[in-house]
Amino acid sequence: MADYFSELGFRPLAEGEVPDHGAHLLRLLRDSGNFDLLQMFVELRGEGGSSAPAASKAAVQALPLVQPLENENCAVCLKNYDEESQCRMMPCKHKFHQECIFTWLKQTNSCPICRKELPTDDLDYEAIRKHKERESERNQQLESLHNSMFS
Amino acid sequence: MANIAAQRIKREFREVVTSEEVQRCAIKLELVNDSFTELRGEIGGPPDTPYEGANYVLEIKVPETYPFNPPKVRFVTKIWHPNISSVTGAICLDILKDQWAAAMTLRTVLLSLQALLAAAEPDDPQDAVVARQYKEKNDLFRLTARHWGAAYAGGPDRNSDFENKIRRLLDMGVEEHKARVALSSYDWDLERATEQLFS
Repeated sequence: MADYFSELGFRPLAEGEVPDHGAHLLRLLRDSGNFDLLQMFVELRGEGGSSAPAASKAAVQALPLVQPLENENCAVCLKNYDEESQCRMMPCKHKFHQECIFTWLKQTNSCPICRKELPTDDLDYEAIRKHKERESERNQQLESLHNSMFS
Repeated sequence: MANIAAQRIKREFREVVTSEEVQRCAIKLELVNDSFTELRGEIGGPPDTPYEGANYVLEIKVPETYPFNPPKVRFVTKIWHPNISSVTGAICLDILKDQWAAAMTLRTVLLSLQALLAAAEPDDPQDAVVARQYKEKNDLFRLTARHWGAAYAGGPDRNSDFENKIRRLLDMGVEEHKARVALSSYDWDLERATEQLFS
């Protein structure tokens, strides 16, 4: 039987390794649903503030290969497509050279043109994002309720 | 420099040089060296702002990882603006940091900087002294920004009241730029500026 700690994904500290208290705190906040504090700490930990993490590898691999038109160009390298160009299409329908978009998505999860986001493998980021979506949904519902009552 | 960065700058360079903004003299872009790693930009102050009629020179450094990382841009021309350091010319603008996107170009960067001159963000300041003046004494901020535009960027209207105060400090042996900074920082209160300079 696996022990309690390894089941939860913990491992013993290596020699000289210091426990990552920050990561434990983030996990605690995430699991207890305290998203405002979680977001604050994630932003404090990440360099350059709120820049988003890389796109999930599965989502990147699932981007469909497409045939571009020859007079179009890739917004990342600005080169025109030719017959040999391998292109991928984002969910927002923007197309790029495979090499260009893959390099970009290793760094951040949004479309270089319209910033529409792909899913990430970062659990904290995804938790905050879902929380924000729910919040804006709630606000919209509240607004429509308000409008229907007072218009 | 990585091939993709240099090739992209070459393409962009052609795009800017033939763009409509260049025809209107609103933005300019020049090469500084042959390897496309450093460029010199220029933007005109937008109309109906204190920067109108002035021209601002920018230093643009292109990283090897461009366009996956933003270019490093700094104002060479001295400027009085809440989001630009009056000392170093460093710029606080999200697209030059974490909001960069690979589809942006030097042309869109220059146009964004021009937009920043027209719409400052005093709540996200680079220069706290300027930002405080912008929020608390906006009329004085506008006059000061206009005066700096005239003094450093070929703008109109040097403002004779400000000029006289600077001359008073020059007579006391203070260097001109230092005098301008001290007076601007103390809302053109000659007494307090003098006190700070000689304390």
